[in-house]
Amino acid sequence: MPIGYYFIVAAIMFSIGLAGVLIRRNAIVLFMCVELMLNSVNLTLAGAARMWGNADGQVFVFFVIVVAAAEVVVGLALIVNVFFRRGTLDIDAPNLLRG
Amino acid sequence: MTFLAQAGADGAATASALPEQILFWVMAVIGIGAGLAMVSMRNIVHSALMLVINFAAIAVLYLALQSSFLGIVQIIVYAGAIMILFLFVIMLLGVDRDDLLVEIRPAHRVGAALVALVIVAASVFSFVGAMTSEESRCGALAPATVSAESIPCVGLDDQLEENDGPVGLLARRLFTRYTWPFEISALLLVVATIGAIVLGRRRDPADEAARRALEPEPEPTGPPDLPPSAEPSPEVS
Repeated sequence: MPIGYYFIVAAIMFSIGLAGVLIRRNAIVLFMCVELMLNSVNLTLAGAARMWGNADGQVFVFFVIVVAAAEVVVGLALIVNVFFRRGTLDIDAPNLLRG
Repeated sequence: MTFLAQAGADGAATASALPEQILFWVMAVIGIGAGLAMVSMRNIVHSALMLVINFAAIAVLYLALQSSFLGIVQIIVYAGAIMILFLFVIMLLGVDRDDLLVEIRPAHRVGAALVALVIVAASVFSFVGAMTSEESRCGALAPATVSAESIPCVGLDDQLEENDGPVGLLARRLFTRYTWPFEISALLLVVATIGAIVLGRRRDPADEAARRALEPEPEPTGPPDLPPSAEPSPEVS
């Protein structure tokens, strides 16, 4: 398979995730869309690693997975806290910081 | 794909692009379809399951990209651990219907679709031609000579041969050149674990009341315009 097709598929997945972040208001779905974007970037990195014959891209994918795991743990704990305090998952609702 | 490439190398004359092509198109369609379904579904549990399908499709695409270790890690970490965490939180909060989806303004939908289309168009514009021609095939199928307007794909065959497979390839990098980031990532995981424990600590309502009685100024709890039904119930707080 010519390597460019992998990049195009990754770009389509990234745009789906980005559109989801822009239109959805539920915090959990928003978070899942961010995961989708991270995964599409991972796919691009793995494709680039194969394209240039250099495994550094795969190492980066590894680190991105580690950081994503940490991010999900802390982010979901925050979402649970916000839900228990405010009773909603609507990301437009928490406006305590609005000036 | 590692084992497909090896099968091709055994009978060098029979090296064929067909298995990888079938695999790629099937998994690309499944992955993109699952992504679209995840974004557009109203039931959050269904969206999470669609995301699992998407992760599995991406894992198979990793296999096709000669990164089989990453494919396995993708399944274990993403489709296993992270999605279980998502589903656990969804079930814990008891919000399996997203009624916020119907309140989206049409302008938002159009704007988001436009941004997505711009990104896809930019990537198609930059990749089609230079990297999608037959000359950008990888590994055993790569052509001997490549014209100036297309970019060749080197492939990881030589590297995999040198380093005893995909795990050795990644491990040699990880424990030589990238040792310092690797150790920092261990620290990051510890910090994330501690953060999750601190954030997820359950506050006892009685303790909270006693602490508030001792403090001279009680901290404000939520805005006054919040309806009573939106207040957290005693069982869940």
